[in-house]
Amino acid sequence: MKKLFRLSVGERGVRRDVSSEIDFHIEMRARELVDAGVPPDEARAQAVATFGDVGAVEAACRDERRKHVRERAWREELDSVVHDIRFAVRTLGRSPGFTATVLLTLALGIGANSAIFSMVNGVLLRRLPYANADRIVIVQHPVASLGIEDAGFSAPEVADFAQTRSIDAIAEYHSMSFDLLGHGDPRRVQTGVVSADFFQVLGVKPLLGRAFTVGEDQDGAAPVLILSYRFWVNELGADSSIVGKTFTMNDRQHVVVGVLPPLPSYPDQNDVFMPISSCPFRARPFMKTTRTARMVSMVARARPGTPAATVGRDMAAIESRSHAAYPDAYKGLSDAAITATPLRSAMTESARPAFLLLLAVAGLVLLIACANVTHLTLARHLRRQRELAIRAALGAGRGRLLRQLITESLLLSLGGAALGLLVARTGIGAMSSLAARFTARASDIVLDWHVALFTLGVAVVTGLVFGIIPAFVDSTDLVSRLRDGSATSSGAKLRLRSALVVGEVALAFVVLVSAGLTLRNLAKLINTNPGYDPQNVVTAHIDLNWTKYKNSPAVRQFAAELMTGLEASNGVRSVAIASAFPASSSSPQNRNPFEVRGQLVADTLRRPKAEVTYISPDYFRTIGAELRGGRSFTESDRDTAAAVAIISESAAKRYFAAGDAVGRQITFDNGKHWLTVVGVVGDVRQFGPTADVAEQVYVPFAIFTVRDVRLLARTNGTPAFAANLIRQTVRAIDPEQPVVDIQTLEQSRRDSMASSRLTTMLLGLFAVVALAIAAAGLGGVMAYSVGQRTQEFGIRMALGAERSSILRLVLGQGIRLAIVGLLIGGLVSRALAHAIERQLYGIRGTDPLTYAGVAILFVSVAALACLVPARRATAVDPVSAFKAS
Amino acid sequence: MAGSDLFVGTLDVLILKAVSWGPNHGYAIGRWIRQTTNDGLQVQEGALYPALHRLERKGLLEESWGVSETGREAKYYKLTPAGRRQLRAEAARWRQYADSVTLALDAAEK
Repeated sequence: MKKLFRLSVGERGVRRDVSSEIDFHIEMRARELVDAGVPPDEARAQAVATFGDVGAVEAACRDERRKHVRERAWREELDSVVHDIRFAVRTLGRSPGFTATVLLTLALGIGANSAIFSMVNGVLLRRLPYANADRIVIVQHPVASLGIEDAGFSAPEVADFAQTRSIDAIAEYHSMSFDLLGHGDPRRVQTGVVSADFFQVLGVKPLLGRAFTVGEDQDGAAPVLILSYRFWVNELGADSSIVGKTFTMNDRQHVVVGVLPPLPSYPDQNDVFMPISSCPFRARPFMKTTRTARMVSMVARARPGTPAATVGRDMAAIESRSHAAYPDAYKGLSDAAITATPLRSAMTESARPAFLLLLAVAGLVLLIACANVTHLTLARHLRRQRELAIRAALGAGRGRLLRQLITESLLLSLGGAALGLLVARTGIGAMSSLAARFTARASDIVLDWHVALFTLGVAVVTGLVFGIIPAFVDSTDLVSRLRDGSATSSGAKLRLRSALVVGEVALAFVVLVSAGLTLRNLAKLINTNPGYDPQNVVTAHIDLNWTKYKNSPAVRQFAAELMTGLEASNGVRSVAIASAFPASSSSPQNRNPFEVRGQLVADTLRRPKAEVTYISPDYFRTIGAELRGGRSFTESDRDTAAAVAIISESAAKRYFAAGDAVGRQITFDNGKHWLTVVGVVGDVRQFGPTADVAEQVYVPFAIFTVRDVRLLARTNGTPAFAANLIRQTVRAIDPEQPVVDIQTLEQSRRDSMASSRLTTMLLGLFAVVALAIAAAGLGGVMAYSVGQRTQEFGIRMALGAERSSILRLVLGQGIRLAIVGLLIGGLVSRALAHAIERQLYGIRGTDPLTYAGVAILFVSVAALACLVPARRATAVDPVSAFKAS
Repeated sequence: MAGSDLFVGTLDVLILKAVSWGPNHGYAIGRWIRQTTNDGLQVQEGALYPALHRLERKGLLEESWGVSETGREAKYYKLTPAGRRQLRAEAARWRQYADSVTLALDAAEK
């Protein structure tokens, strides 16, 4: 009889098979020789001789054999995996409710993580597009006593710092806006003004043309330009022949020598770059020699392997030598310090806390999802125990069953991850606009293979967790279940499921508290009284061309014509010109020390300080700020000899006795000019609702005239109507003058809260998902418990228990679980409070109202979730409950 | 293996042919090749076995153990469907090759 399978697996089997086959051959051959008349004792030797080298043949055969065994094992493994997958698909298809619930839960849990990770990846992890990124150090010159983050550097200072031992290159940078003429309409372009080696220092190779070359930043060099990628694409239609063409800037012809690759808009969003010799301000002769003419920033390249801190220390030493050598140049800046920050941190540090918070909360949501899927799986195994027991009885080993169960869970988690990537893709726009609030790297947020790999990793871990835990719990009682065919150790299982639910509730509580805190924070921001009326005011940015408006009278003439023109229009209620307006920036721009007559302070560091804004007479009327005392400016406040000022309420409170401010005199220039305080105005949130109220001093635009101005118009019409009107009026006065950033005062205010709003929205979404999953988990566990206690309820009711007492019993049990979870969650939240507090402005991380609100919400939702199983418990029919047993 | 480089692959196709009428053990396959080729290929008897194992690994042959005509347990090789396809293809290729060479060798001088 022929046996079908005999592929021996072990080495000994292989040897035996091969040698018995060859033995057989030699025996047959010998037998044939004997038949042909060869003597039997010679026949065998002859047979061996004609066979050849027996040892070599056997070895060759064994080799083939071993390969065969290995390949076959592989194929079988693959077949069984395919089989497992097919089987899993069929089984999951038979319980579509379970499958859909798990897929949805995981899609939300994993998708949230993929979306947030794409943000973290793009901003914090991806390589910067500068070849020398790891060695680039941003050097700043903070003056703490003046509240200035960076006082900037002068050319002589840059030259000093170039001697720093721990760096091998230094470049300077500043940004200004100029008018660019040629190739279409006149444009106002933001221009990076750099030393010639700036791009070499960063390690940027132009996409087209070349970088600046040595000497191009020296006086007399031919004017050249390099275009940013964005400007080249958006404004010049990616014209590939642009290199060599010319533009007119500041009355000079500039030749385009290169186009940059796409780069983050750091430190500013520049349209074009020019060498310092082309900048009419930087190229003035006194800039080279005047130590106090600080107008540029510094970028240094550390020597390989040198940390930024070392560069900072070395530069601080140079700074203190300069303080000693040129005391006059550091008057009022005696506490000026030097900070050296690695480029990557400088670009991303403000994003880090918010991103990590979001990533942590997304992680919690996934944990909750995981816990919930785990006990859904447990419940499903319970329903499948007969099937599993039968398969075990048919000889499927414990390992085989385990593998089948894990295949199912991995299939679910991978499916969930695929859906999750879709979720993440829809969220990526929101991620980018959130990130843009914190960092120039927002455009780097994409779903790349890092995100895909992260998602895959999360999916596999998730699948293993909710595959192994229930399978392990099950397999321990597989044997006993086989023996008596009924559910055993369900008590242990209920305990595990209760623990899972308590954990879910606790985690969901943490998520809800963080969402609640940010929501309360946002509400507080929105309700903060801004001190002005942002409705119906349109603002515009007009930066007058300095070659055309050479002096203050010319600027004032333009401003007067503009305001008169607008005021004459229908629907315009009031018009103002100012150097800044509320929420136009998020930090002080023009904070200056001053003295009050009669209270002189010699040390500039100890003088009172205020943010100074230049305004036209109707400014307060236009923004809707309220005068608290004295008067507003009038058209006649234009005499430098009798200069006037209006101070904010907080400045009046801080620096003057009550009611004493009006009539007093202040000076910003050591008494050369005195300004008489003529009014006190209510505080406005100048830097947006997230910043503290700043002391402010307003001075007349007619006396303090600047070219870079903001126009404000309060109108009765729509913003679009006002925008049009502003453009037309400006064009009528000067057709070459660009008008930019037209938006409402309300938009500026909303923009200043945008990051809080987006963070709140994301956390709110996470909270809804977490609450829904936890509630579903609680409901599920109660349903299971009710199912287990059907008989008990039957007996209770047979003994005369009221339906309402059964209802209370079940509800009580569910709510007790929820409360245990809430207590644990409360403790965890409390411990994490300081982490979230960094994102909050008006409230504490332990805000009791938020905790109480979330707890009440949670208990109500828990009660609702338990109501369905509780009602089922009261519907138990005592008779059938007994019969079922 | 095969007696000459020219005949690489020849042994394989002969083995496949030898089992094309039904399962056979190694000795019988070798004897069939010797007899039908009049020992023209001069295959060493031992060289047959690694070839058999290789064809089995490739899935062209499959094995089964049975009792031989002498009453001893022996390993039988059987052609698989893939083996039969391979035999057909190889035979056609071989004939075309032989025809081409024959044609060339028989050609008259120009």
